[in-house]
Amino acid sequence: MLKIRGLKKSYAENEILKGIDLDVKKGDVITIIGPSGAGKTTLLRNITTLESADSGKIEFENIQGDYSALTRQETKKLRQSIGFVFQNYNLFNNKTALQNVMEGLLTAKRMPKQEARTEALKALERVGLLEYKDQYPVQLSGGQQQRVGIARAIALKPKVIFFDEPTSALDPELVGEVLQVMRSLAHEGTTMVIVTHQMRFAQEISNKIVFMVAGRVVESGTAQAVFENPRAERTRQFLAETLVQY
Amino acid sequence: MRNFELIGNFLLQLLPVINITLTVSVSALVLGSFIGLILTLGKIGSSRILRGIVAGYISIVRATPPIIMIFLVYYGLPFITANFFKINIEGWNRIYFVIIALTLLFSAPVAEIMRSAYLSIDKGQYEAGIMVGMNKFQIFYRIILPQATVVALPNYATALINLLKEGSLTFTIGVVDMVAKSQMIVSNNSGGYAWQTYGSLALIYWALSLAIGRVVALSEKAYQKKRQSISI
Ligand SMILES: Nc1ncnc2c1ncn2[C@@H]1O[C@H](COP(=O)(O)OP(=O)(O)OP(=O)(O)O)[C@@H](O)[C@H]1O
Ligand SMILES: [Mg+2]
Repeated sequence: MLKIRGLKKSYAENEILKGIDLDVKKGDVITIIGPSGAGKTTLLRNITTLESADSGKIEFENIQGDYSALTRQETKKLRQSIGFVFQNYNLFNNKTALQNVMEGLLTAKRMPKQEARTEALKALERVGLLEYKDQYPVQLSGGQQQRVGIARAIALKPKVIFFDEPTSALDPELVGEVLQVMRSLAHEGTTMVIVTHQMRFAQEISNKIVFMVAGRVVESGTAQAVFENPRAERTRQFLAETLVQY
Repeated sequence: MRNFELIGNFLLQLLPVINITLTVSVSALVLGSFIGLILTLGKIGSSRILRGIVAGYISIVRATPPIIMIFLVYYGLPFITANFFKINIEGWNRIYFVIIALTLLFSAPVAEIMRSAYLSIDKGQYEAGIMVGMNKFQIFYRIILPQATVVALPNYATALINLLKEGSLTFTIGVVDMVAKSQMIVSNNSGGYAWQTYGSLALIYWALSLAIGRVVALSEKAYQKKRQSISI
């Protein structure tokens, strides 16, 4: 469904992404893991056009071409077919939970207000926040804010949703509720690409793991293959370092 | 008792020309805000040259005493228009020159206020807007501007009260406003009752400033719920 080939990005002299390939099929739950500074965030931001990649091919829906030559129309189409969940939630502070979810439906999808409201309420229900619909972001806990962030993404019915460390800004006791929502999305067949340091969770819900170091994909495969039988020495090392914490 | 009567009497004589003060202030408020907004866009924009020009403009305007600005515009503007545009504006109503001078003066603090309000808004919301498919204009208008307005409100009120006070220099180029009228009253009384006259004038300015403060306080209150959610 989404095919990325040779994605590259440099900041000044530093090449942060050195040619990344990624294939996402419908219903995939792909988790990208790797040490800090590997370029995971940069990868998501470049795939989703939050930043403009230097080069790399993309095939998605009816878009086929190079990132460096995307037309305005294609960029718009791309953005409308993908969702993004941010590490810091990035909710609209002047809007209630419900309004946050409705915003994209009203502006980008040009949905009539009543319909948008119905859709937004459905999305809030899926993340278990129906009774918080009239609260402003500041009145919500971090976990609740992130769930509104997820509702805002799913309400637009994107083809694929990208999550950049959705739980790493949260207090430990709030992580569970967000993971639970993501788990249920996965069970419902939502296509997701996730960056996280929650290894157990990654192993549990992903059908594919991508291990990245220094701007390159070192290893990728099923969760079982990567976690239980890593081929690359670098992967083994990383897993040993991270899993030791459990 | 007699003093109260006098002050009441002077108030009645001054109030009919309050419209000059109001016209000047409101016009400069509207025009200055508009120019301030444009300056803000230049200042937060990506063009280095534009940012430099705007910064230069703002520091010059801020370093110009109000009375000098009024004289510069009154004497300088007709010279410029006559020499460079072949337009004669010497016959213009003098109030226009005051409005232009105060507009220039007001635009500088407005630009600063708007810029810092804009910068206080967390830009992650901009990216979130992009990712739900909003365009730049929608994000600015529906997300950034409402929040920046709430942040800017108190400073805006302060700037507006300053503008009102700068307007008391209108008389210097011969417009008969409340200040000029007060001077006439005093000289008609051969210098007598001067403190009562200027006391009435001060009362009017105090009332206007208080009114501005009230209006802002009320709108802040209306925004309170949102304000809580914006001011971190
Ligand atoms: N806007 C930028 N300008 C310059 N360098 C950047 C920029 N964004 C990221 N980098 C650099 O790119 C590298 C990869 O950063 P990135 O945030 O993608 O890593 P990450 O894998 O997400 O790490 P973490 O697990 O800590 O989130 C880092 O060395 C970072 O300093
Ligand atoms: Mg990151």
